Amino acid sequence: MKGLLLSSRAWRIVVPLALIVLLAACAPSAAPAPAAAPATQAPAATQPPATKAPAATQPPAATQPAAAKQSAPRVRASIVADEATLNPYTYVTGTPGWNLLMLQYDSLYQVDLNGQPQPWLATGATISPDGLTYDIKLREGVKWHDGKPFTAADVKFAFDYYVANKTGRFARALRPVQSVTANGDTGVTIKLKAPSPSFMLQALADVPIIPQHVWKDVKEPKTYVFPGGTNIGTGPYKLVEYKPDQYYRFEANKDYFAGAPRVQELVLVRFADDAGSLAALRGKEVDLAIRSVAPEQINLLKQMPNMKIAQGPLFATDMVTFDVQKAPFNNLAVRKAIALAINRQDLAATVHLGNATPGNLGWIHPGSPFFNPAVKTEFSVQKAQAALDEAGIKDSNGDGVRELDGKPLSFELLVPSNSALRLRMAELIKEMLKTVGMKVNVSSVESTTWENKVWPEFDVAKGRDYEAAMWGWSAPVQADTSQTALLVHSDPAVGTLNLSGFKDPEADKLAEALMKEMDPAKYKDTLNKLQALIGDKLPLVMLLYPDGAYAYWSNVYDGYKFIAGQGIINKLSFLPESALPKP
Amino acid sequence: MSARASLGNRALQYIGVFLVAVTINFMLPRLMPGNPLALLAGVDVGMMTPAERAQVVKEAGLDRPLWEQYATYLKNVARFDFGYSYRQKRLISDMILERLPWTLLLAGIALLFSAVIGVTLGGISAWNRAKAMDVGMLWTMIGLESLPTFWLGMLLISVVSVRLGWLPSFGIRTPGIPLTGWPWVVDVARHLVLPVVTLTIISMPGIYVTMRYSMLGVLGSDFIRTARAKGLTERTVLFRHVVRNAIVPVATVLALRMGFAFGGAVVTETVFSFPGIGRLTFEAVSGRDYPVMMACFMVITIAVLVSNLAVDLIYPLLDPRTR
Repeated sequence: MKGLLLSSRAWRIVVPLALIVLLAACAPSAAPAPAAAPATQAPAATQPPATKAPAATQPPAATQPAAAKQSAPRVRASIVADEATLNPYTYVTGTPGWNLLMLQYDSLYQVDLNGQPQPWLATGATISPDGLTYDIKLREGVKWHDGKPFTAADVKFAFDYYVANKTGRFARALRPVQSVTANGDTGVTIKLKAPSPSFMLQALADVPIIPQHVWKDVKEPKTYVFPGGTNIGTGPYKLVEYKPDQYYRFEANKDYFAGAPRVQELVLVRFADDAGSLAALRGKEVDLAIRSVAPEQINLLKQMPNMKIAQGPLFATDMVTFDVQKAPFNNLAVRKAIALAINRQDLAATVHLGNATPGNLGWIHPGSPFFNPAVKTEFSVQKAQAALDEAGIKDSNGDGVRELDGKPLSFELLVPSNSALRLRMAELIKEMLKTVGMKVNVSSVESTTWENKVWPEFDVAKGRDYEAAMWGWSAPVQADTSQTALLVHSDPAVGTLNLSGFKDPEADKLAEALMKEMDPAKYKDTLNKLQALIGDKLPLVMLLYPDGAYAYWSNVYDGYKFIAGQGIINKLSFLPESALPKP
Repeated sequence: MSARASLGNRALQYIGVFLVAVTINFMLPRLMPGNPLALLAGVDVGMMTPAERAQVVKEAGLDRPLWEQYATYLKNVARFDFGYSYRQKRLISDMILERLPWTLLLAGIALLFSAVIGVTLGGISAWNRAKAMDVGMLWTMIGLESLPTFWLGMLLISVVSVRLGWLPSFGIRTPGIPLTGWPWVVDVARHLVLPVVTLTIISMPGIYVTMRYSMLGVLGSDFIRTARAKGLTERTVLFRHVVRNAIVPVATVLALRMGFAFGGAVVTETVFSFPGIGRLTFEAVSGRDYPVMMACFMVITIAVLVSNLAVDLIYPLLDPRTR
C-alpha cells in the first residue's frame, strides 16, 4: 500500500479529472433554440374567467402555422405502463389505458372538445320526462373491423355482458340500468332504475360496444386469449401487433364511419419510466409522449424547434383534506383560516411553474361550464387572522402558535413521498399557515401508507386515521360534476369520497337532489348551491388544478385535439375535422 | 462411499435451503405495506361498492386462510405454474419465458466482457504491483465501481442517443418495423450496445479486484519463489503457476454471478426500458403484483441454488486439493 500511495500522484489527478469531464458531459444542453414553438391551445375550457388566476392564464390562442402537418404515415408514441392486450377487460390504467382502448372501440356517445357527450354510434336519444327511459337511434352502415355489420343486438349484448361479467369500470357505469332491449337493428331502449343525470357521460359516452359474434362464448373475459390476439371493435384503429413490454402497433381503419384516420399507423412504445420516455422524445425516437410532462420539463421542451406542448385542463385536482370530526378541524374558523391563508397563485406559480389553474373553494374548475362564479376564493392573511381571533383562538403565550382549548394549534400534514410536487406544496403551505399562527408538521410517508390512513381500504365507512393530508382526485371525479355529491354526503354508502367525515343535513339534501335531477337548469342551480356550501363550510380546501401538458414533434404530426378532462390521446386527434362531434 | 454420503448430505442441504427460500418468497409480498386492492380493481376502486370489492379480493384468492394460500402455492410451484399476473392478466410462466432470453443475452454478454476484461486487467495489475499502471488501474476501477448505475445509463443515453443520435436508447428492437435475418440481428445488436456497456462497466471492477488480490496472494507464496529459483521463464511462471492458481476464486465469483444473472439487472433494464426479468421484477414490486413478484424471486432462487451447486461440482476440477 505504501508504493500505491507514493507512486500514484499522476493517477490521483487523472481519475478525478476524468470524472469531472463525465459530469460536465451530462449537464443539460441549454443551447437556447431560436424559435420557441407556440403552445397549442386547448378549447374554450382552458381559459379561466377574466377575474381569476393570472399565473395560469394561457397566452391568447395561437394561430396555427401555415405548414401544420395534418396527416402522417406513422406516429410513434411513448407509454410508461403496460396495458396488457388492451381490450375492455384487460387494459390496466384508467389514463391512458381507457383512452387507448377507445381508439379501437366506440361508445354510443362521444365527448366533444369541451368534454360534453354528443351522439356517435347513436344518432340521438329521446329521454322520457321521468328520466327513466332512453330511446336511442343507432347509426346505420357501421361495420366491425372484421367486416360484419354493427347492430342493436351488439349494444344489448355488450351492456348485458358487462353487467353479467362484473368488476371493472363498465359494470359500475351501467349500475343504474334496469333493462336493455333492441328494437330491430337500429334502435335500443334502455330503462333505468332511477333517474341519473350523469348516465349519458358516465355510461353512454364511456362504455365501449363489443361485438356479440366475438364475445358471446367468452366465459373468462379477463384471461381469455382471442385467437389471433386481435381486438375487434368499430373504432378508427385496429390493433395488429402486440409485443408485451415492447410495443403495440395499430393500423388505421380506412372504412371508419366518421372518416378515414389521418395517421396511417400508430405505434405505442413501452418505456420503463418517464426519464426514458422523455430522452427518446428528445432524441426523436418517438414523436409524442402520452403521459403529461412535469412542469419543470415544459419550458425546457418548448425551447426545441418543432417541439410543441398541447396544454389544457385535465380536471385532476389538488387539495387539503382533513378529519372534520376531530379538533382542530371540527372548528369552522380553523378551516376558514386555512382556506384564507393559502396563496394559491403562489402554489401554481412556484410549484407548478404556472402550469396549473389556482383552485376554487367550491371544488369545480373555473373553466367548467358548471363553475359557480359566485363562490369567492380569497387569499388574505388579515382575514385569516381575524377569523381565528374572532373564534377566540389566540396566541396567549407569545410563542407564535395560537392555542385552541389550551392546546397549541398544530397538526400533521400527510404527503405521499412519491409526489415531489405535493411535497413542495406542503412545505409552502406550512410557511403560509405559520403567518397566521398555525404550526404544521409536514410528514412524508410511503404512498400506500398515506392512502391507507386517509382512505382505509378505499372505503370511507372504515373511518380515517389522519389529521390533515395533501390529496387529489383523478379527472373522472370532476369531469362528471354529479360526483360532487359523493364528496360531501354523510352516508358512507352515498358519500363514497367523503374523506373528511363531513356531516351536514343541507349538504345531504343538495347531494341527493343533484344525483337525480334531470332538468338541466335545475341541475345547474342545485350544483351552484352545493358549490356555495362547499366554499362556505369547507369539507375540503381546494388548492389547484394541474394542467395536462403533452409534448410532441409538430413536424411529424400536428393535428392533435385537446379534449377537456382527457388530453390529446383520443380518437378525435386522428380524425378529419369534419368528423368532430358538434354540440 | 464417503463421497456418495456427502453428496447425499449436500442434496438434503439444498432441498432444505430451497424450502426455506420458497417460504420466504411466499411471505415477503404479504408482509409488504399496502393493499393490492387498488391494483386489482384499477384506479376507480373508490367508486366500487363493498360487495364489489369483496368479489375482487375473492377472485384473487386473497380471502382464504394463509395456510391454504401457502398449500396452493407449493403445489403450483412444483408444477412451474405461477398463475396469472394481477396486472397483465397473462400466464406468468409465459411472461417469464418471454423475457428470460433477453435477460440472459444481456447479462451473458456483459458477464463475458467483464470476465475477460476484469481477469486480464486484474492479472496485469497484480503482475505490475505498485507500479503507476497498477495504481492507476486500481483507482480507475474503484471510480467506475462507485458510479451509480442509473446515472451512468442516463449519461450514455443523453450523450450517445440524444445528442449524437448514434444508437437507440431503449428496448431491444425498433418498434413496429418487422425485420428478419441479418437486419434483425443488427437491429438487436445496436439496441444491446448501451445496456451491455453500462452493465460491463458496473460489474467488471469486482472481477478485476478479485483477480488482482487473488493473484497478489499467489505471487507472494513460496512455490512461486521456488518456480523462479528453478530458473523457469517469467512466462511459464505466470501462466503455468500464477494464473492457474489465482483463477480459482474468480471462477467461484463468476459462477455465482451467472446465477444472479437470471434475476436480470434491475436498474440497467429499467433505465434502458429493456424487456427483461429485472424490469419485470421491479414493476411487479412497485405495482404489488404478488404472483409475478413471487415467480421472479423463485426464478432467482432456483438459479442461485443451481449455480451454487455448479460451483460445488466444478471446484474439485479446478482445485485438486478439494477433491
